[in-house]
Amino acid sequence: MQQKKGYVSFVLHAHLPFIHHPESDDYLEESWLYEAISETYIPLLTNFQKLVDEGVGFRITMSMTPPLLSMLDNKLLQKKYIHYLEQLIELSEKELVRTASDARLNELSKYYYDRYSNDLHLFRDVYKCNLIEQFKHFQDLGVLEIITCGATHGYFPILYVNEKTIRAQIAVGVQTYERYFGRKPRGIWLPECGYVPEADKYLKEFGIDYIITESHGILYANPTPIYGTVAPIVSPEGVIAFGRDMESSRQVWSSINGYPGDFNYREWYRDIGYDVDYDYIKPYIAHNGVRVPTGIKYYRITGKTEFKDYYNLQWAKDSAEKHAGHFLDSRTAQINGLAPYTNNPPIVLCPYDAELYGHWWYEGPYWLYILFKKIYYDDCNFELITPSEYIDKYPDMQVCSPCRSSWGANGYSEVWLNQSNDYAHKHLHVAGDRMVELANLYPMAEGIKKEALNQCARELLLAQSSDWLFIITNGTMVDYAKKRIKDHIGRFTKLYNQIKEDNIDLAFLKDIEEKDCVFPDIDYRIYI
Amino acid sequence: MPRKTKEINEEKNVKKQSKLNEKISALIQNVLEPIEKVVDAEKPSKKSKTKSASTSSTKSTKTTKKATKKVLESEEKAEEKISKKTVTKNPEKEKSTTGKNKKEKATTKKVTKGKEKANKEDKDEKATIKKASKVTKSTNTKTTKSKTTSKSESTRTSTAKSKTNSTEVAAPTIVEYYDLPYKYNQTVVKVLYQNPTTLFVYWEISDSDIENYKRTYGENFFETTRPVLVVYNDTMNYHFEVDINDFANSWYFNIHDSKCDYRVELIRRPVFYNEKIKSDYVYISSSNKIESPNDRILFSTDEPYTVYFRNTKNNHQRKINLPKLLEQLNLKSKEFGFPIVRNVYDLYKYVYQIEDTGEFSVSFTNPSSGNPSSHSLSSRFI
Repeated sequence: MQQKKGYVSFVLHAHLPFIHHPESDDYLEESWLYEAISETYIPLLTNFQKLVDEGVGFRITMSMTPPLLSMLDNKLLQKKYIHYLEQLIELSEKELVRTASDARLNELSKYYYDRYSNDLHLFRDVYKCNLIEQFKHFQDLGVLEIITCGATHGYFPILYVNEKTIRAQIAVGVQTYERYFGRKPRGIWLPECGYVPEADKYLKEFGIDYIITESHGILYANPTPIYGTVAPIVSPEGVIAFGRDMESSRQVWSSINGYPGDFNYREWYRDIGYDVDYDYIKPYIAHNGVRVPTGIKYYRITGKTEFKDYYNLQWAKDSAEKHAGHFLDSRTAQINGLAPYTNNPPIVLCPYDAELYGHWWYEGPYWLYILFKKIYYDDCNFELITPSEYIDKYPDMQVCSPCRSSWGANGYSEVWLNQSNDYAHKHLHVAGDRMVELANLYPMAEGIKKEALNQCARELLLAQSSDWLFIITNGTMVDYAKKRIKDHIGRFTKLYNQIKEDNIDLAFLKDIEEKDCVFPDIDYRIYI
Repeated sequence: MPRKTKEINEEKNVKKQSKLNEKISALIQNVLEPIEKVVDAEKPSKKSKTKSASTSSTKSTKTTKKATKKVLESEEKAEEKISKKTVTKNPEKEKSTTGKNKKEKATTKKVTKGKEKANKEDKDEKATIKKASKVTKSTNTKTTKSKTTSKSESTRTSTAKSKTNSTEVAAPTIVEYYDLPYKYNQTVVKVLYQNPTTLFVYWEISDSDIENYKRTYGENFFETTRPVLVVYNDTMNYHFEVDINDFANSWYFNIHDSKCDYRVELIRRPVFYNEKIKSDYVYISSSNKIESPNDRILFSTDEPYTVYFRNTKNNHQRKINLPKLLEQLNLKSKEFGFPIVRNVYDLYKYVYQIEDTGEFSVSFTNPSSGNPSSHSLSSRFI
């Protein structure tokens, strides 16, 4: 048995922008949540449960962002998710008949039928529609550490020209966490890992111990951290920063030889939503008849070719197991190499988007399950740990100021500030300033005015979501993202004027309160 | 009813319906075309319940109410394209251009209602009713589905038409529609960093300040002066200028030094002789301060050979001699027995197993934000 020389820490960042449209069923964007529940959140939960049932000791950290928590808690979205599953089950039932003549395909149809039926059973009957409670359960067991995030994933390096707005992002992030998990979060996932030193004092104010930064957040720190990213550092204000390990990131993410590109894994783009006869699939695609992915996918990546072979469940599992073994060996070698150069055991931090696991990389949750089992049973030189546990075990760390950084392309703000989306920043800044102005003008508001001020805070926070800027840069669903910025800034400004003129339109207020119902307990005074 | 007759009737109905739809859309156009003006959103919103104009993909137009919604919707999209076709009621007030960055991508977008309104910043929320240049963008819309409701709707629309032709804007189908304002009427300069070598700055001069400058320096102040950004590096104590132009309201420019404090001043320099301007520039406004991010490993210590460590449990901080700390690691050459790690640079070479630490800079292309809203991610795996 090898001696334990170091630690590996997995951090999965679970986030979706707040998308809630009680006014219409036509918003395709709502399905992002349903897809993520079926492909990522439920598979993660079931794999955690399997590990617990099998007595496998493991540790994992997840950030669950306030908009995601709000959506998971939303009764209407829960109902819509059940409807989404019912539709999929109906479709997969039809698929059983359609594919009856092809044994390989029929086996896959059966798999989807079982899988979605099981999802429905789990979600409705076992979890009682409450996924948050399920995640909380694993946190209470001590195997999962949940951390928080900025209220609506607002990107700090853009917002911090008005520091009160980042303070509010942190405050609401912490409050939402407490509401759902009944305790304070120890860590925060800075939206997009966007670090600015100006946020430190507010992070401390709300009791945050640690943050996650991109690798150069640590490497380019001042003074230079002597152990690089393999040990946390503490900022002069007292915020502890863990940096992403580059080697393990590359292994999973690499476009050339990253695990998710394996030829046996499921091909995301080949979906029966695009492939089968139009009249047959029509009831299951977008309401306006546009073909969209349904979630039933029969092909594997196969290779760099247009020709795609059928997905094979066993082959995919074999590849996941092979990759888990490779990851384990690589980390063992890495930690063997690192251990002599650090005073405390090195920590290799592996942060990923949670939705990479299952949604994009279909076999990801299974890979994690196998990896955790291997780490527990196999002869390896490291253990899994959460950042909190590491801090408690090794509280001694170098004092350095982390570097302003993000995990976006090229490491700084280019994704959220470029020629496609820079028009929005002025409006975000003005709305931020106006919110602070309102809070200071009416610090003791009551009744409808208080309601309106709280709604203003919600509208501002929703406008600040980094997702809209990201989507605009990315070039998909651009109209929707632009509309969301316009809507929230528009609603905010309208309310701002009404509050100042003392002429609040109650019908309007009620209408937008219903649509933008995020953070029911918000108190606008956070902007004072 | 015999099946055939039923079918024929249905067919008739469909034809009737499509004719009706054509009429309706013609009517809507007729109603909307001459209006072409901006109505303050607050007024109609008080009258009735607001409705969101959704853009999420195209929708089935079941009633004309929705059709109107669609008109406004496509108008919203079209508006950006036809930004130069500025719609104004009062041509005197029509002006204002925006430009963007070095490419001078001038975009014009301003809709003013009148002189008084122009000065009001509540221009930002408007229920815009105007001609949608390309009305039907509908793909696969189920127009034939329109049922009897459309009849009553069409009557309503035509009533609206007769009213609007003669008088003011009749409250159209109530739509919650917003556009971002062109100006907030504030004098401001804000600077943000895009990366260690590029800063982004945007600015605005309020109408009252514009008037003040004109009063002080003459009506042609803005024609006889040109705007300039003066970029101050306060850390290294130097400054340089960036020539901009009046077609722009934001700019990107390069800086040479990372990890430095910058601020930007907006000034105007006289182009022609103006006897009222005594100096060679007129100050307009100054920006926030910003620190450009660091872009390299500093290999620095707090003091020579010293690092600080803190116990995060009790906040006890202590000074540590770096060579001594490295000595404790006991890293000696196997062959000759002398220490192989004398400083942070040496340590990095071993920790990251590379010869030249400059290689780090190329590693920061990790993808980000792989949420399902991004469809780009999975392509990287193929």
